[in-house]
Amino acid sequence: MSAPNQRHSVAIVGGGATGVLLAAHLLRNEEADIRVTLIEREGSFGRGLAYSAVQRDHKVNVPSRGMSAFADDSEHFLRWLKAHGYAEGNDPWSFVARSTYGTYLADVLREADRARPGRLVVLSEEAIAVRETAAGIETRLANGTSVLSHHAVLAVGHETQPARGRGIAVRVGSARDTPLDPYARVMILGSGLSMVDAWLSLAEANHKGPILVVSRNGLLPQAHRDVPPIEIDAADVPFGTNVQYFMRWFRDLADETEETGGDWRSVVDGLRPFNQRIWQSWSEHSRRQFLLHLRPWWNIHRHRLPPDLHRRMIEAVDQGQATLIAGEFLGIAQHGDMVDATIRRRGARDEETIEVARVYDCGGVSVDVEASSNPLIRDLVATGRGRPDPLHIGLDVTEDNFVIDAAGQPSRRLLVAGPLTRGRFFEIEAIPDIRLQCARLAERLTGGQVAQARRFPSS
Amino acid sequence: MGWRSGAEPLGVPPRHTNHSRQMLTKKGKYGLKALTHLAALPPGDLAFVGEVARANNIPKKFLDAILAELRNAGFVYSRKGKAGGYCLARPPEEIKIGHVVRVLDGPLAPIPCASKTRYQPCDDCEEATCRVRHLMLDVRNAIAEVLDNTSLAEMRDAGGPEKLVEEEPIRA
Repeated sequence: MSAPNQRHSVAIVGGGATGVLLAAHLLRNEEADIRVTLIEREGSFGRGLAYSAVQRDHKVNVPSRGMSAFADDSEHFLRWLKAHGYAEGNDPWSFVARSTYGTYLADVLREADRARPGRLVVLSEEAIAVRETAAGIETRLANGTSVLSHHAVLAVGHETQPARGRGIAVRVGSARDTPLDPYARVMILGSGLSMVDAWLSLAEANHKGPILVVSRNGLLPQAHRDVPPIEIDAADVPFGTNVQYFMRWFRDLADETEETGGDWRSVVDGLRPFNQRIWQSWSEHSRRQFLLHLRPWWNIHRHRLPPDLHRRMIEAVDQGQATLIAGEFLGIAQHGDMVDATIRRRGARDEETIEVARVYDCGGVSVDVEASSNPLIRDLVATGRGRPDPLHIGLDVTEDNFVIDAAGQPSRRLLVAGPLTRGRFFEIEAIPDIRLQCARLAERLTGGQVAQARRFPSS
Repeated sequence: MGWRSGAEPLGVPPRHTNHSRQMLTKKGKYGLKALTHLAALPPGDLAFVGEVARANNIPKKFLDAILAELRNAGFVYSRKGKAGGYCLARPPEEIKIGHVVRVLDGPLAPIPCASKTRYQPCDDCEEATCRVRHLMLDVRNAIAEVLDNTSLAEMRDAGGPEKLVEEEPIRA
């Protein structure tokens, strides 16, 4: 077991985008006397769920100009693209392959290590539990050893849930996603960005059979357009109202913007810096209503597709290769090689059973932490050291990202970064928001240490 | 496809018509007074509009309209009938003064030209070069900062007659 010494130490669990960005931000402060241990079970860094896709058409859904690892150095990613010979580096409005972004993140980590030699340790191990001790926090690894540090940050990101449907439905790209008869009929549950990923994987495998896309609303994500965000200040935004009032205001503003020749996307994007504050200003009832009634509608406008992908998706629908069905997924049963999926179309009274070769679950990445596939998260919740947030979409954390235990007490050692904090912050899914959160956390974790050193000078 | 594609889950709304012509209109002031009144009620109690109007010297018809707007925005809750009346829809600690003022008076702005969404140009100056406007944009952010960090509970407890009596040093 490594003991924490005087030097401030932070263990980061999860080496995907969030973990790498946090490590890079922690090591960026040259004044900070800090040691960072980054623990990733897959052994590859910067390639979490989002950025490990190898298909060339799996694109980052944010234009390159918004993808810098550092909010205060917005050209960083574009410079990296140019330096590594990617043509997209010359076009801030390009959408790079996701695997390219994974390579960039791995380089960001390497660069952080080079800049502060000896400060970063990376471990290709699985973290299975965390325990607070008198001196710090112990991160237990599956190999039987532990990492002891002053703080630990859970950056386990977009954790996939086991697929719905009693183990019959399949996650795209998982081990059970075996090759299919190219003319077979398949069903995809969900119609958001993950569905587009699944559809792309099928298209790349030259799948010719019909694809049924079943989601509550049957809505496809919208396309990006190169338009600037509107200028808007906090003083303009109606915080703290109910959801109906807020949506009225939003629609009026979008209408007015379009009437004067603008684009609704400018309103969605202009509002983005305030989304976390808007979410936090709402009552729990309003947040619940939003999740229940408006989230699908919001998601298709907020989480948009690169225009060429959007065009291809629309074409696939127009040509009948993909069929959008608004309805409810009710159940699934296996018989032989085939699967019977039962749905109820919106407005219909009767259930309908459709025979398909496979059901892909693309129902998003919101998690019920109590049934997490990550042993550390499961242990955290099972032992009462952590709890789901009130809406059950992530882990309950304080405004400063500290984990809140089952009794409501915030930890002083254990923090969470990235998408698992969505219960408190909501808008914390994409790089532009995650990098800001990492910068803020790094400042607190390193700044706090500096402030403490000043308060208690060594004599 | 436009931004309206898909469902209209919560109905088609009326246009937002508030225009802030001064920092705090009478409407805004009355609304805050009424909310302060409701914030002082014992939990679970409701107050009649007439009662709130009399106690705070607000014309009743005006207060009816103000409370209806506050109800639409989700700050107050109303019940009809004999045991009816108004109460806060959220704990007074959660209701921020700035949030209420935006609903009643529109975007926070010290002068009408200093709003970005409800911008009303002055007919006698050039906005790009108007230094007054630049300064007023800073002022509005400072106003928002103060009003958004003050809760209704804090405003309720910050003054009022009881407080004055309590704090008055009575010495012979």
